[in-house]
Amino acid sequence: MAATASEGPFSRALPWLVPLALVILWQVSSSLGWLPPNILPAPTAVLEAAWTKLQDGSLIDNLGVSFARAMSGLIIGGAIGFSLGLLNGLSKTGEMLLDPTLQMIRNIPHLALIPLVIIWFGIGESARLFLVALGVFFPIYLNTLHGVRNVDPQLIEMGRIYGMNNRTLFLKVILPGALPSIFVGLRFALGVMWLTLIVAETIAANSGIGHMAMAAREFMQTDIVVLSIVIYAILGKLADSATRALERKFLAWNPAYAKV
Amino acid sequence: MSSQPTGGSRVSLKDVKKAFGNNVVLQGIDLEIPAGQFVSIVGKSGCGKSTLLRLMIGLDSVTSGVLDAPALKAQAARIVFQEPRLLPWASVKDNVAVGLGEGQSGQAADKQAADILEEVGLKGREGLWPSQLSGGMRQRVALARALVSQPTLLALDEPLGALDALTRIDMQALLEGVWQDLGFTALMVTHDVGEAVALGDRVILIDHGHVVLDLAVDLPRPRKRGTPEFAALEGQILDKLFGDDPRAREAH
Repeated sequence: MAATASEGPFSRALPWLVPLALVILWQVSSSLGWLPPNILPAPTAVLEAAWTKLQDGSLIDNLGVSFARAMSGLIIGGAIGFSLGLLNGLSKTGEMLLDPTLQMIRNIPHLALIPLVIIWFGIGESARLFLVALGVFFPIYLNTLHGVRNVDPQLIEMGRIYGMNNRTLFLKVILPGALPSIFVGLRFALGVMWLTLIVAETIAANSGIGHMAMAAREFMQTDIVVLSIVIYAILGKLADSATRALERKFLAWNPAYAKV
Repeated sequence: MSSQPTGGSRVSLKDVKKAFGNNVVLQGIDLEIPAGQFVSIVGKSGCGKSTLLRLMIGLDSVTSGVLDAPALKAQAARIVFQEPRLLPWASVKDNVAVGLGEGQSGQAADKQAADILEEVGLKGREGLWPSQLSGGMRQRVALARALVSQPTLLALDEPLGALDALTRIDMQALLEGVWQDLGFTALMVTHDVGEAVALGDRVILIDHGHVVLDLAVDLPRPRKRGTPEFAALEGQILDKLFGDDPRAREAH
């Protein structure tokens, strides 16, 4: 019965069954020697690597560096995308002036700019920030613009009839109306953010998780390479959960987001 | 009920004309609406009845003629649309507070909002989201939002048009009760002749931009639909609307 499947401890454990089975299968294959460690190390070896890296402090350092890069890029690119999205959503002139250009640039994969970015910024911190900011800019810009544009015009007329000034109209009607769409943009942007950071750190960096993985590759330390991949997965999942929590808080009025 | 009577205000139109470009929508409209009257406005789609309503509460301006409505100068005219137009992200209480306008908050405002919610029968639902309410309840919130600033003139543009038949009957009684309690002047556009007769002190029929019938409804309230007097008035309006075409009347 559907009703019994959605309740109780069994249903809460259900999503974990397949990942757990995979890890067990992986461990058994490694222990029996079917998987040579230079192809894929055992889960226990990855855990051991994590423990060593934790103890010498390098894991926390690299994690901190990567996290700071991701967040700075997100804040810079996200703030510009959000502002331009609002501007072009609210002003017809702004949209006619800027939107066609932005739509054109949007079609260039931002990672294709890497050679140019290295020439402009060298391989320093600014190159990586630029790439992450550029990557997160477009999803946030497009979804903010779309959200503002799609606020129910009947609600805007209602606000005007009740004497709302532009500021109140924006804060009480337009911004809350655009918020679901802005959150969609944020979740897209988080995906792009990690992807860009991995690529940027793998190509040119002397710190961060991506650098840790590339340095380990040179010494065939597959356990540390796998550890880096697992860390990226965890970071991505955490970012997604944080967004979901924000959605639940700010979109509680929307039946589609309440208690999902 | 806890809301105090607000009283009504008169509306007078002299030789009013409204045109959009070359398209004349209303012409030669002369109406005297005394304070506190409940006026039902009926007519076929596109006859100009909604335009007349928008003129009388200042959402559109007259092309020529004189419109005199003290409620407009006092900013005491409000409208309820067919759709409730509630902010989905604001609670019932916050939606009603929109009707109080800028910078109105504090205890007095809270009291006003609470009183009007009680008046429309929504006491205890202040904290709910609009998505948690039925269609009839949402329209009650819209009514409370319109009334919370104590308007003397209330326009209703097919306010019950989107509701199911049983909820409509319920809401007609509510509307009549609130109007009797508060005493504002009510102008209601409807396509339902029975509803117009049940609620109006007077039924105005608009056809091709003119007032073709202005009928006083002198029946005791609350009105019973089955009575011969009620049916006679309904018949008189339908005759004027459709002439002698029996098939059109049947369809209505």
